[in-house]
Amino acid sequence: MKLVMKFGGTSVADAERIRRCAQLVKERLKTDRVVTVVSALDGITEDLLAVAEAAAAANDPVLDAHLAQIRKRHQKAGAELGEPELLRPLQEQLDRLALGISAVGELTPRSRDAVLSFGERMSSLLFRKALELEGVKSKALTGQEAGLVTDETYGEAEPLMELSLYQIAEKLKPALEAGEAPVVAGFIAATQHGVVTTIGRGGSDFTATILGAAIKADEIWIWSDVDGLMSADPKIVPGARLLPRISFAEAVEMGQFGAKSMHPRALEPAAERKIPVRMKNTFKPEGEGTLIAQEGDGAGAVARAILLVKDCGLITVTGAAMIGRPGTAARILQTLAERNINIRMISQSVSEAGLSLAVAGKQLQRARGALESALLRTGVARHVQVDEEVAIVAVVGSNMRGMPGVAARVFAAVAKKNVNVIAIAQGSSEISISFIVKREAGAEAVRALHENLLAGVSE
Amino acid sequence: MRILLVGFGVVGRAVAKLLEERRSELYRNHGLMPSLVGVVDSKGAAESARGLDAAALIEAKEKKGTVAAIADHGFSGADPARIIAGSDAQLVIEATPTVVRSPGPALERLKAAFRTGKHVVCVNKGPLAVAFPALQELSRHNRVEFRFSGAVGGGTPVLSLAQECIRGDEVLSVRAILNGTTNFILWRMDKQGEDFDAALKEAIRLGYAEADPSADVDGVDTATKLVILANGVLGRPCTLSDVSVRGIRGLPRKRIEEARKSGLVVKLIAEVGPDALRVEPQEVPADSPLNVPANLNCLGLKLRTGGDVSLVGRGAGGPETATAILRDVIDIWHSIGSSR
Repeated sequence: MKLVMKFGGTSVADAERIRRCAQLVKERLKTDRVVTVVSALDGITEDLLAVAEAAAAANDPVLDAHLAQIRKRHQKAGAELGEPELLRPLQEQLDRLALGISAVGELTPRSRDAVLSFGERMSSLLFRKALELEGVKSKALTGQEAGLVTDETYGEAEPLMELSLYQIAEKLKPALEAGEAPVVAGFIAATQHGVVTTIGRGGSDFTATILGAAIKADEIWIWSDVDGLMSADPKIVPGARLLPRISFAEAVEMGQFGAKSMHPRALEPAAERKIPVRMKNTFKPEGEGTLIAQEGDGAGAVARAILLVKDCGLITVTGAAMIGRPGTAARILQTLAERNINIRMISQSVSEAGLSLAVAGKQLQRARGALESALLRTGVARHVQVDEEVAIVAVVGSNMRGMPGVAARVFAAVAKKNVNVIAIAQGSSEISISFIVKREAGAEAVRALHENLLAGVSE
Repeated sequence: MRILLVGFGVVGRAVAKLLEERRSELYRNHGLMPSLVGVVDSKGAAESARGLDAAALIEAKEKKGTVAAIADHGFSGADPARIIAGSDAQLVIEATPTVVRSPGPALERLKAAFRTGKHVVCVNKGPLAVAFPALQELSRHNRVEFRFSGAVGGGTPVLSLAQECIRGDEVLSVRAILNGTTNFILWRMDKQGEDFDAALKEAIRLGYAEADPSADVDGVDTATKLVILANGVLGRPCTLSDVSVRGIRGLPRKRIEEARKSGLVVKLIAEVGPDALRVEPQEVPADSPLNVPANLNCLGLKLRTGGDVSLVGRGAGGPETATAILRDVIDIWHSIGSSR
């Protein structure tokens, strides 16, 4: 098999964990060819962000503290792997970069990316060293060196996919054929001019799936500190189960509702080429994890998972003037888009007298302000009501597609617990139903649905 | 329009001559004033902001082996990709010979052109055959034009014809003869009754085949052109490895004689079907438009409404290919607006 194995931040948080992951790679190399992708050590990206901002603000104490923290962790890891000075050159580069940003007194998106890139650059060197200790020959490559090229949207760079796929294949295929096990720094890439970029949402998972697509991998393994995807948050539903196999569509849907799934952007290259993605736990590697593939395991339950998005606010825009007036919804959505407000859910009744939107809790007040000034002043709407204490409950499952009566069961189960449903939305994919309830009723609704829709299915 | 010409072999020199010969007509009909601000060959380069003189360039090349020998403007030792990146040309013509096995250097030159905002006209098939979708993406990302008419069919507008047909109709399938060398060999075997080896020898003698003719004879050249046609015109993303290729090496004379008995001829056909891309010797009716003589090429399209359309013409040649390059230059000139 050709495999891409990606290790997340907690899995590589220190030398001991890095070694454990290197052993997992070595184990696989007995039968397969492996490309490794690594994230930065857990917490380092946040430290780097703090470095970038403290440098721009010329806040020396904070800057030095974070640089010291980064230096200390990596030096310790290097020492435990037998090479204490392994990361000194990179650390010095980082120190100089911070100095430069301080001198200029300005943090541009481009220089922020330059700072952030150090996390993965350092972890990939540590990982390569750990592999060497296991007797495995490998090279550490930055995203750029592996062939990953993006546009110039620093912080959220979009890969030039065709060029990247071509270049990565040219770079990695010969290495694999020669029996090597390349280690590629996740999350980072470069523009066509060679300037470092970070790829934003999806991060190292996205790197892993792009590499997988380029080398036409048989599977992509995403290693983290969770067993896989669960049928619900175990903190809310004690009986929540590990999902052995789900479809790409379900994984995307679950990710939208906050499951520790992969970002849809990261899933896309794998989904398009039907390369299965396996989510596994480095702290329990013998577990099967969750396999995300073309098809989920259809059997049995009506739903696959019940999810809860707690931190939401609901805005309802009402007014008789809205009825029959085309363009109102567009106005509302446009207003919010202009302020970069992410809309989680939309619901409008046929009477057109009101439109409800769920947004992230922390964007609520800004959204309200934007709508009030855009709509109330001009008389387009009468009221903008805000409900701060709501949650979105989502039922996800590809079995629900084409199955009549599911919505009835969902709302009956919820009604039985006296939970009031405030607004409803069903995606046209038919694999999820989401609705809004009062925040304090969220957990109860999830438990009721889990029991009703998922219980009685054998492991 | 400031042009940088990469490659000063048969095609490159023909381009320089053509630009000179057509100078007044290009200005009169298109408002186009091409100026060769740089020329790069395998041994060196020449650059001049005021435009280089075609005759001087050709003389330097023919007498001293490189354009670097030209007085005042010549130099050697520089990396072509860097010359391209640093040039202030608006358009780069990539006219170096195709080396299918190592498209890397040509690809680097195209990347250098794209990332420094230069339009590209390319007749080198190598990068087109292995990385077409990537090149398409890169040219769009940098908002520059990318043309390659001369890569298939030399001066004969094979790609343009296919492009035109697609606009109003649907192409159901394509069968084409895209390699003059192998067509010549098969034609000799049929007309003169020669064996493969004898026909090949004659082709080499007449200059229709290289000393090492394997790219032609093994169908690789045809396959690369098929990939370019499929990608560039038919919207079928693919690379060389997606084509099933069989050449004419060692084709027995018997097969040709058998074919003749049934009123057929054997041709090396490049085919785009609904599910497959292939290059292989196939039997074809003797009265089919595909039965072209000597070293000609033929594009055969089957259209849903229009039926069968074919185009016959020479498939290669320095001056012929130069006309295709000029077509692309003119098209790019018009699409970027004459104000530049």
